[in-house]
Amino acid sequence: MRTLGIDLGSREVKIAVMEDGRIVNKSKVSTMTFYREYCSFDGKILVDLNKLEIDKIDKAISTGYGRNNTDLRMFKAINEIKAHVYGGIYQTGLKDFILLDIGGQDVKVVKVEKGIITDLDLNEKCAASCGRYLENMANVLEIPLNSMSDYYDNPVELNSTCAVFSESELIGKIAEGIDIKRLCAGVSYSLYKRLKPLMSNFNGKDLIVTGGVATNKAVKHYLERDYENIISVEEPQFNGAIGCCYYGESFL
Amino acid sequence: MKKIGLTTTVPVEVLITAGYRPVDLNNLFITSDDYSKYIEIAERDGFPKSLCAWIKGIYGACVENGIKEIVGVIEGDCSNTKALAEVLELRGIRVYPFSYPQSHRKEDVEVEIKKFMDIFHVSYEEVEVVRKRLNRIRRLAGELDRLTYSHDKVSGFENHLYQVSLSDFNGDADEFEDELETFIMKVKKRDGSCKKVRLGYIGVPPMTIDIYDFVERFDASFVYNEVQREFAFPRCEVASNIYEQYYDYTYPYDVNYRIKEIKKQIEDRRIDGIVHYTQAFCYRAVENIILKDKLNVPIINIEGDKMNSLDARTKLRLEAFLDMLGDLKEVSCV
Repeated sequence: MRTLGIDLGSREVKIAVMEDGRIVNKSKVSTMTFYREYCSFDGKILVDLNKLEIDKIDKAISTGYGRNNTDLRMFKAINEIKAHVYGGIYQTGLKDFILLDIGGQDVKVVKVEKGIITDLDLNEKCAASCGRYLENMANVLEIPLNSMSDYYDNPVELNSTCAVFSESELIGKIAEGIDIKRLCAGVSYSLYKRLKPLMSNFNGKDLIVTGGVATNKAVKHYLERDYENIISVEEPQFNGAIGCCYYGESFL
Repeated sequence: MKKIGLTTTVPVEVLITAGYRPVDLNNLFITSDDYSKYIEIAERDGFPKSLCAWIKGIYGACVENGIKEIVGVIEGDCSNTKALAEVLELRGIRVYPFSYPQSHRKEDVEVEIKKFMDIFHVSYEEVEVVRKRLNRIRRLAGELDRLTYSHDKVSGFENHLYQVSLSDFNGDADEFEDELETFIMKVKKRDGSCKKVRLGYIGVPPMTIDIYDFVERFDASFVYNEVQREFAFPRCEVASNIYEQYYDYTYPYDVNYRIKEIKKQIEDRRIDGIVHYTQAFCYRAVENIILKDKLNVPIINIEGDKMNSLDARTKLRLEAFLDMLGDLKEVSCV
């Protein structure tokens, strides 16, 4: 059996194909490109699987960025939080954990007990604790995103609540002549500080980190202070799409 | 007939024998359109913000409705009730004490009920006559409960409403019996409405009464109301006297005794998941740790405070919980 899972994110669309319980294909397309190049609209969004070079699909499940239309024709649309939890369960085999998913614009914290969601919280109002914030700050520092996350020692203090004000605050610190390593660490630390209040009601031993920001070493380093085990999954960005496949294979 | 206010279920047989009309202050508070006014009255009189809304509501309902006498449960319920009774006494309300002994030994329960009977000058024999009369109504409540979980003919809310009313028989046992009989006759003619997910509700009755309707939107229904059912004394038939009846009552004693009964009901009623309701600022929220550990079904703990309807976040949490329970159910049905 072949199951297709599509996670329509705010920055990228993630696609995964599962064959008899194993992920056999993964790909990513920018969100803009996905809708422009691979979709047509006829009352409902129709995805051109031929163009995506995906065939012989028995089941298709979609999920994604809650404020957008994630209901694709011929797909079963499922709740995004559920998709990520199933992704976490499939990728770790755990049934009791806290899931932290940090995407381009959204943060989700979910408590899973006995394989079921028992608590959750989402960011609201601002995306200053998400991937887009890190991207913008890396642009200001003129450093690749991956390299920025290599540094976590002695972070410079950045206090702005707002992502845009943080940019000017960072520029101020650059002007003070502060070392690039401390600037990089400061960016990741400021994101961690914004996550902390959201996570305060989600104590537990095992924290699974997913979403694009899960590749940020510095953020994970800071989270180690609060959780016994920080569990990384192999494909943190594909977690939602993988969860869709897992849902399709297990429950449909 | 003189009214007497109750802060929780007590041996109501004793009070009725003594010629009182019992009034459960919880029901008086929560069914009022002005429920929030009662909380405000208590806060104005000095009750802290960080205190359970039930206690404040009971206080407001008591003073506003001119209740002159109450039974204050000073052991086996929360310690806030003890302080509440003391403040009511200060306001000139007569408080009769009652205790559910923490030891939970049959002899100790008997001693407490005997003390209670002495306070109201009634004999064991007189009380037993009333108990047998009331147990006829308790049996009807048991039938209504069976119609809920065996035949799916009674909704979770209706089950809650009738069982919770047995703490004071809505102030008139005869009238309540008629109402219950009529209702049972009516529901027996219904077609059963079977929902996919079978839920248990455990913990004190909710402030947020809309929870019953809310879960039904997700193809789920409550087929078990733990504490409300205890208020109705479902095992009254196996008790040979009033002492045994109030000994075999789970709510005021230790959590492990409660858990034994909950486990049995999970099995008998084929329950898929549990909603554990606790009140903000209540010690019972701590018991969630033990319940989660000992009960082998998924549990979600939701907390109510002053609002009588579910807030958006709790709705989102319940929705996600029910969504996943529904998935699991699909698999187990295959």
